[in-house]
Amino acid sequence: MGKVIVVTSGKGGVGKTTSTANLGTALALLGKSVVVVDADVGLRNLDIVMGLESRIVYTSMDVIEKQCELAKALVRDRRVDGLMLLAASQKNNKDDIQPEQMKAICDKLRTTHDFVLVDSPAGIERGFSNASAGADEAIVVTTPDVSAIRDADRIIGLLQNAQIEPINLVLNRFSAQLVGNGSMMDQADVLDILNIDLIGVVPEDSGVITSTNRGIPLVYEDASPGAQAYMRIARRLTGQRIPIPDLEDKGLFNNIVKWFTRNR
Amino acid sequence: MNISIKQLFGRKPKSSSIAKQRLKLVITQDRFDVDDRVMTRLHHELAEVLAKYFEFSANSIKMDLKQEGNSYILVADFPYTKFHNTNMGQ
Repeated sequence: MGKVIVVTSGKGGVGKTTSTANLGTALALLGKSVVVVDADVGLRNLDIVMGLESRIVYTSMDVIEKQCELAKALVRDRRVDGLMLLAASQKNNKDDIQPEQMKAICDKLRTTHDFVLVDSPAGIERGFSNASAGADEAIVVTTPDVSAIRDADRIIGLLQNAQIEPINLVLNRFSAQLVGNGSMMDQADVLDILNIDLIGVVPEDSGVITSTNRGIPLVYEDASPGAQAYMRIARRLTGQRIPIPDLEDKGLFNNIVKWFTRNR
Repeated sequence: MNISIKQLFGRKPKSSSIAKQRLKLVITQDRFDVDDRVMTRLHHELAEVLAKYFEFSANSIKMDLKQEGNSYILVADFPYTKFHNTNMGQ
């Protein structure tokens, strides 16, 4: 039986879809069989971020309306073994799907795959309830800024009420330089506020923009720091124990250097 | 958090520490956010029960939510004028 993990955040634009695409691909690269599910009905994007937009024929809506079999609606990613995408309908909206229907899809997918990653829409309404309905676990993505963290806290409360556990945090778009000069909260600050387990820190990486432009997930670029961070998170999801490297240097000497060199 | 050299030299506090402080405050409020109607109902029901044992004015009950660590504490203050010993065990 595979695991169903919802990838969510509350706030939009913090990297849910990028994280889903990269973690899904990374897990497949590690030899796991994976389905990534776009739960953002009406505003789908996982297909274009993964570069599979031209191959979508059926969506989860067609499966729910029994227009096609679930297996037939899955688009196979030809670049890596064991990775499938279930797209969201673009012409429907979130209220056209019931949480139980999403749960039924996830329950069926988990019988044939190791991981089902559900990309949640932003917000705390129906789209979020649909995305989390079938989930055992959650990944909350946040960036180290006040609005993303506040929204993440709301989402964590809702996930806890729904008894989804564990809830793991991905801290995205982290900049050691900004932390160093005191302009960005560090991981300890964020964890102190949110009080959940950290599963990874993804550094700010311009490679995300170019990889999204091309429709090739960043994890294929072995040398990119973002790719390495996603690969480490994927390994942790498979149960490997890999320490989270401290992307920040806090030593006194560094602070002195920064005091002289900082750009304000 | 570390006190950085900047702060020792009397410069402006780091914006990251300001962010953290503001977030902690607002998130505590968000988590507390109990529906006002529910609070009013609780206030009434509490007054009803207390009236069996004490003499007090219902308006004098003050209720307050506080956070300590990971738990929340409801503090209710009710200055009473008389305790009805005869009502015990009713």
